Amino acid sequence: MNLDDFGMDTVTLAGTLHAKLGAMRAAGFSQVMLSARDIVGDPGGEASAFATMRSSGLRVTGFQVLRDFEGLSGHLHAYKIDIAKGMLEMCHAAGSKLLLACSSTSAHASQDPELLARDLRKLAMLAIPFNIRIAYEALSWGRSINQYPQAWEIIERADRANLGLALDSFHMLATGFSLDGLDYVSPEKIFLVQLADFMWQETRSPEERINTARHFRVFPGEGVHSDEVAELVRSLDRMGYRGDYSFEVFNDDYLQLPPPLVAERARRSVKWLTDHVSRRSLPLRLGGSKH
Amino acid sequence: MRIRERHPEPTNPLGMDGIEFIEFATSQPQALGNVLQMMGFAPVARHRSREVMLYRQGPMNLIVNAHPDALPGLSAPGSTPALSAFALRVRDSAQAHRHALDLGAWEMPTRASAMELNIPGIHGVGDSLIYFVDRYKDFSIYDVDFLPLPGADRHPPALAGLHYFGIVQSVYAERSRDWIDFYQNLLGFSVLPGGRYFGILPKGTLLESPCHKFYLQLIEPPPGSEDIVWEESLVRIGLGAPDVLAATKALEQRGVVFVDHGSVQPSEKGALTQVYLGGVNFELVVSHLQPAAK
Repeated sequence: MNLDDFGMDTVTLAGTLHAKLGAMRAAGFSQVMLSARDIVGDPGGEASAFATMRSSGLRVTGFQVLRDFEGLSGHLHAYKIDIAKGMLEMCHAAGSKLLLACSSTSAHASQDPELLARDLRKLAMLAIPFNIRIAYEALSWGRSINQYPQAWEIIERADRANLGLALDSFHMLATGFSLDGLDYVSPEKIFLVQLADFMWQETRSPEERINTARHFRVFPGEGVHSDEVAELVRSLDRMGYRGDYSFEVFNDDYLQLPPPLVAERARRSVKWLTDHVSRRSLPLRLGGSKH
Repeated sequence: MRIRERHPEPTNPLGMDGIEFIEFATSQPQALGNVLQMMGFAPVARHRSREVMLYRQGPMNLIVNAHPDALPGLSAPGSTPALSAFALRVRDSAQAHRHALDLGAWEMPTRASAMELNIPGIHGVGDSLIYFVDRYKDFSIYDVDFLPLPGADRHPPALAGLHYFGIVQSVYAERSRDWIDFYQNLLGFSVLPGGRYFGILPKGTLLESPCHKFYLQLIEPPPGSEDIVWEESLVRIGLGAPDVLAATKALEQRGVVFVDHGSVQPSEKGALTQVYLGGVNFELVVSHLQPAAK
């Protein structure tokens, strides 16, 4: 595991897309998780943003985020299908092969697992011609799906090759951290892992979780759940996950600091993680090499 | 003791009934027409409002589309002919279209002119389209949109019993599962058990139509081909023949050249033509599907 396995989310940095990508590149990162807002908010328009992306030399980890998609009916469903199509087209144009979809928070959405699975099947189908995979993530304040084992159940029920799981350490930590559910997950069906920590021990209410998630995340190694984050990465490594890790750190302080300074913190976080994970997994790897 | 294996019969929710036509797009329709005529197709009709020609051979309809204005989001025809669409015969085209859209297919924009048929379709692989046609029995889509060529036989017979057998589609590495999902769920295709192949190019994944009248073959890039440009597209038509060697001979007499080196040689199982015009070839496959000529 090394720096190439990690990327940053554009949401973590202030400034233009050009400045964000430049800071990531300068810090040694080779991949970026793009936010749709960075594309449509580019002063030169979408085409300019796509060109900036292509010339950056960075690989696109994925594109985010489709919200409140599943479980709707009638005109709400039709509306969200249109939104999903727009996101998929942008995702494709940005050179991304992965779209992140968060579990619905909508009070209008059905809680019937079969209806949720049906809509995710439809989303996965819309993504096939574009060669895009859908990574479905349990938002910790999602209405029906707010923990990753529930998201995995819906993914299994939907049973589509290009539909898999996105794990986000923040949401896992916020709802009572447990890795037991990973025993049931196939490593190749984990499409993305997003990493962040935060500064307090608990988030007691959904409102507190939302507030913390959107303003007070920090990089792994900077918060108070370092052991759990390292344990998560170690477990994923052990179970055979070889996909991407991305730092999704929403933090108001970071948004008023120069991007190179924040990107440097991200690079230090990679070092912290790889030190912790490699050190403890070394005996296992040595054991494995004898056979 | 005989054990009866239980394979569930695949369903055919759309009432699929074979291929109505296959379409090429090219900016050089004459050159492609020459290749098609060598392969036994004959021009029979011309589209009323666009530069589109209908070729026919026995039960096979083949359309050459040279109309320069592409539909939104699609490329205009290039000089290298490309397989750009196939049309499926279904019980009810509007219902089939609705069914596909409900499951997540992308709708294709319509471009029918006044008094022309609006044939519903969805986006397929790459720039290609999949149409749904329900008028193919006593009344055909060509009766409305096409004008017969004066003096042309409207139903030229098939050479050596040739008929549509299938279409080969290239897919990116590790993408077969996605496209299996696509064809299985939208159109009711089923995967043939591993090891069951036709023709002389036994590779990839074979999907059988729910009407058992044709096949799709998905081909991933071969190992060690990282340096070649590999796009996802419809790449080749498979033609069925009851006697491949007889069909090969008949086509050779018309000037068709078959690949004859290494493991790819004409045999009783199949044959592969050389590549014409930088991108067009045909595969012959031994087949007794033999749909009735119209």
